[in-house]
Amino acid sequence: MTSLGGSSSSATEYTVRVPKNTSKKYNIMAFNSGDRVNCSTWTQARMERDMSARRIYGEEESADGAAGSEFGKKQREEARRKKYGIVTREFKVEDQPWILKVNGKAGKRFKGLKKGGVTENASYYIFTQCPDGAFEAFPVHGWYNFTPQAKHRTLTAEEAEEEWGRRNKVVNHFSIMLQRRFREQERGGDDDDDENEKSGKKKKKGGGRGGDLRIHDLEEDLEMSSDDSDSSMGDDGEGKTKAKKATGKGKAKKKRKSSDKEALEDSDDGDYEGLEVDYMSDESSSSDEELEKGKPSKGEHHPKGIDEASESEEESEEEKQNEEEAKEEEEEEEGKKTPVQTEKKKKKDSSGESESSDDSDIEGETASALFMKKRTPPKRGGRGSAGSSRTGSRPGTPSIDSASTSNTLRAAASKLEQGKRPTPGPSTDSPAAKRLKMEPSSQSPVPSGKSTPQPPSGKSTPSSSDVQLTEEAVRRYLIRKPMTTKDLLKKFQTKRTGLSSEQTVNVLAQILKRLNPERKNVNDKMHFYLTE
Amino acid sequence: MSDKTEVNLTGVKQSKGLWLVKVPKYLSLQWDKATEKGDVGKITIGKKQGKTEVRFSLNEELTAVGAVGEQDASLQVPRDHPFTMHTVGGQTMAVFSQSNADEISLEGMVVHRAECRPVVNDNYMKLKKLQIKASTKPQRLSQQLERAITTVFKPVANHDFNVEHEKKKKSEGKMVRAEWQVVLDMLFSAFEKHQYYNIKDLVDITKQPVTYLKEIMREIGTYNSKGAHKSTWELKPEYRHYQSAEEEEMQTA
Repeated sequence: MTSLGGSSSSATEYTVRVPKNTSKKYNIMAFNSGDRVNCSTWTQARMERDMSARRIYGEEESADGAAGSEFGKKQREEARRKKYGIVTREFKVEDQPWILKVNGKAGKRFKGLKKGGVTENASYYIFTQCPDGAFEAFPVHGWYNFTPQAKHRTLTAEEAEEEWGRRNKVVNHFSIMLQRRFREQERGGDDDDDENEKSGKKKKKGGGRGGDLRIHDLEEDLEMSSDDSDSSMGDDGEGKTKAKKATGKGKAKKKRKSSDKEALEDSDDGDYEGLEVDYMSDESSSSDEELEKGKPSKGEHHPKGIDEASESEEESEEEKQNEEEAKEEEEEEEGKKTPVQTEKKKKKDSSGESESSDDSDIEGETASALFMKKRTPPKRGGRGSAGSSRTGSRPGTPSIDSASTSNTLRAAASKLEQGKRPTPGPSTDSPAAKRLKMEPSSQSPVPSGKSTPQPPSGKSTPSSSDVQLTEEAVRRYLIRKPMTTKDLLKKFQTKRTGLSSEQTVNVLAQILKRLNPERKNVNDKMHFYLTE
Repeated sequence: MSDKTEVNLTGVKQSKGLWLVKVPKYLSLQWDKATEKGDVGKITIGKKQGKTEVRFSLNEELTAVGAVGEQDASLQVPRDHPFTMHTVGGQTMAVFSQSNADEISLEGMVVHRAECRPVVNDNYMKLKKLQIKASTKPQRLSQQLERAITTVFKPVANHDFNVEHEKKKKSEGKMVRAEWQVVLDMLFSAFEKHQYYNIKDLVDITKQPVTYLKEIMREIGTYNSKGAHKSTWELKPEYRHYQSAEEEEMQTA
């Protein structure tokens, strides 16, 4: 149909064809003008469907036939869904978004989301002009809006809120993402190296970093070494007893390290107030009473020291604080010249509890061992000399039958000294025994000069003369109350037993096999216990 | 992730300009009725007083609403459609096509947008009226029946299903207690397949009376009264040896 012309009109006619048998489906790829996308500059492009949503639909398929599965679970789930009228939407591949990658790995990435409702009321056609001048019209199958995807790191919602709170304090905003990147690196890579890097780099960067600067990371490094064995042992023990060490160790180590990164503060006074006491050790509570009796009669410093001492002894789990407190105590002790203190300790020791908990043994040992720490260079060896000097200065002290200590105590003490000192002196044992006398009534007295650690009764662990980690000890624990493997390991800490964490775990596992305790599930944790 | 198709960029390179045209539904329906060749009409591009004018006119044979070939005089799709042209200012639009073999190729860039508008006349109005009537009709219809339906749901003394059920029960008889060991074996093999079982399911599997079965289960298994697998029985840990569960435990430990 030619148009009837006005003055200046020229018309050309073209035929329009709608090809019927096209196998191709045409879609629109729409970009935002602000993104300034120029398709002609693309050298290479790849496109694929984004199938990440399929997981959500497939997630309902739990392990079939494996442990944790129920009989007839599928049918029941289906019936339940029908009953409540829950209709799950199918996963349609056609509706999934596209992922477009332009110019290879270093190029841009786009995500194309399907626009709904395009073909409902009106149809879109693509008109192209063929070489013969006719137009060909193809119907548009779908419309996808493509948006560029950010490659740089972004903050999540929680992090963004955090940063918003700190916006007035943070001067250097560039550091925020930099920190985050380091943290990510660290979690993925080698922990120690990266930490050093991080701390090094932080030093370089200098001030103005706001709340992001984690000064305590360095402290962590210092403390890590001493606690590393303990902390990793604790978690390792668990992994071991589940009979797969390697993965457990690595993961536990990482977990522990990351938990160590949480804010670590020095314990203040009053921090111990609400702490739980391990109920297995009766004597500690009574020792507390005694100490308190003694408290008003002493000067200021002494009670404080003893309080801390007693508290730290109670908490065998808080080793770190133990050490810290012990350090403080030792400093005080050194300053004092303390017949008083030793007397107090004696009182505590001879509190006359008939309970035979190795727990308290170890704790007492720990404390006394730690008291000695500063006195002589070797870590736990010095107590002997100190002890003897003390006893010398107190003539009136009744000679305590240095034993009424259990074999375990003596051996343990000697073990401690052995581990850290080349030559354990004979005198060390007796004061050690005196100090740690926790169960006078139940044990036979041993002459003070005796130094040879008797092998523990019953079966001893093959690795050393270490008597703490024995079947006897474990049996005692388990009879008293149900414990998890983790708890047990905590009782036999590497520092006290002198075993490495692996050994401890090994030995403990063997002991448990021998004992074959009963199991009980409490709070989703497997507890062992014996009834005899 | 697996099938990443390389996009064929030849169309874009040739800088083929494409038009995106919005066509009314009725018109596209008519176009679907076109012959094999696909000829549907003609486009006239003219310059009228300086302005570019594009008109589309539908072919004669496609104007009939209804089957092709019929020339229903009453209803005809308008033939004349001027195009309203726009430029693609706001959006950069490209066209990509996907073939049956999942090959993606970029056909070109859109240079113009157009809307196909009909010339409004009485004919068109009539057409529209019909369309509206059709769309407002409800999809579901309530119909009153004159006579009651008596062919279904006759009263029965005992339903077929029930009768069968009773027969089955009678033929099977009461469940007999098998040997302890035999039952144990059955249970162990069942627990190899799944970890948690309902007591009813166990009865079904083992065909043992409930009390007897419960006795056995009390010995070798525990009853979960709380938790994810509520009111189910599972084997005691010492009887268990689930591989995958252990691994999972270790992961979480």
